[in-house]
Amino acid sequence: MATGARIPMIMATGMPMPIDPAPLLTLAQWLSPAYPVGAFSYSHGLEWAVEVGEIHDGPSFQAWLEQILIHGAGRTDAILLAEAWRAPDDQSCHDIDDLARALAPSRERALETEQQGQSFARVTADVWSLPLPAYTYPVAVGWAARMLNLPLPETVLLYTHAFAANLTSASIRLVPLGQTEGQTILAALAPLCADLAADVQTLTVEDLGSACMMADVASMKHETQYSRLFQS
Amino acid sequence: MKVLFPRTSGNSMTGVLLNTAGGITGGDRFDINAHARTDCHLILTTQAAERAYRAQPGETGRVSTRLTVDEGARIDWLPQETLLYDHSALDRQLTIDMADTARFVMCEPVVFGRVAMGETVARGAFRDRVDLYRGGRLLFADRTRLDGQIAETLRGLATAKDCAAMASVLLAAPDADRFLAPAQALMPATGGVSLIRTGLLFARLLATDSFELRRTLQPLIQLLSGDQIPRTWMI
Repeated sequence: MATGARIPMIMATGMPMPIDPAPLLTLAQWLSPAYPVGAFSYSHGLEWAVEVGEIHDGPSFQAWLEQILIHGAGRTDAILLAEAWRAPDDQSCHDIDDLARALAPSRERALETEQQGQSFARVTADVWSLPLPAYTYPVAVGWAARMLNLPLPETVLLYTHAFAANLTSASIRLVPLGQTEGQTILAALAPLCADLAADVQTLTVEDLGSACMMADVASMKHETQYSRLFQS
Repeated sequence: MKVLFPRTSGNSMTGVLLNTAGGITGGDRFDINAHARTDCHLILTTQAAERAYRAQPGETGRVSTRLTVDEGARIDWLPQETLLYDHSALDRQLTIDMADTARFVMCEPVVFGRVAMGETVARGAFRDRVDLYRGGRLLFADRTRLDGQIAETLRGLATAKDCAAMASVLLAAPDADRFLAPAQALMPATGGVSLIRTGLLFARLLATDSFELRRTLQPLIQLLSGDQIPRTWMI
């Protein structure tokens, strides 16, 4: 599964940079932890899984994140982002956003995608003067990328990587993991982000589907968790 | 496919779906349509667990269900377990179109393999889609996708922790909010419930087998659908 390197991006060829740096810099800005969407406050149910001891070390966190990227929200969001990017008009993008909202399996997962999307849309609309509605997070990013002609594979790549990096940061705080161990896990799973960026070229809403039922349960249980740092 | 109507009382009617073919094989196609008109109450269940048998390569059994619930009406969609055999291929779509003042209760249990016989679904394909429209607007959607090595996929911490039975339970109703606390009290360690938005309550449950699953589902259905629980769900 984790074959990676299927996307021709910047290769270390020693040649002058073959592509326009501006699109990548915009994506790097949007999907950096410094961009004010509040990603740091969402754990996607991880906080509950740590609370009950299911995730208790590096390997258990890595397995959990890998499944979410392959079978869960990592893949689902990548498809929604791509479909928003490909939407032929505003109404089609609205419909994809309706689906993205409807797919939230719990109150906190709805909050996670709606609040980050709203924050992303507000800042991005102001800075780049875009007519960007308060869509859910993947739809807002996909539609904004499309309006600025940013390439789809790189958008999915960095979006997915930001999602994985955010959960890795959460696990470093919660499990806790050492910084080096956390970054080692993120590096090991990075090829999955590349796989998704390649796969979404041919995936549509018809291919949506999750197998991460326990992750959904964790986000539901998190609602009543007594002591918590995260909003999901 | 047949429907039996063993019980009718007042505005309430129970329909028991009976698959006379005894199960679903690859290539089968079933379409179910039900409509509860204004202020009517329809309870739908199945006479037995629905079996999705081993499919021939390239063949997929398809079940498409469309439920329409008018103003003040109610449908309880409470089929018994769908039992997926090893190497089965099943693709399901459930679409609910409900009015703002309507009430919809759903419980959809799925079991992977004949657990009592030690069977797992080593390989298979299972797609399940639920789309619920209220007042014409998509309010809730659920997509389950298990392809290829299903038993292996279900082993994960984020997937099913090796559970072989699962269920999705939904209540869409103007007063759904008040069921959150009592539903939370019924949840086992491997089940959760959330009021996703006002008027929309959703639970996801996992269990080692269908017996364990029913131990949670039975009181949960009782809670969400009141006293008129179909006989097939009594234990």
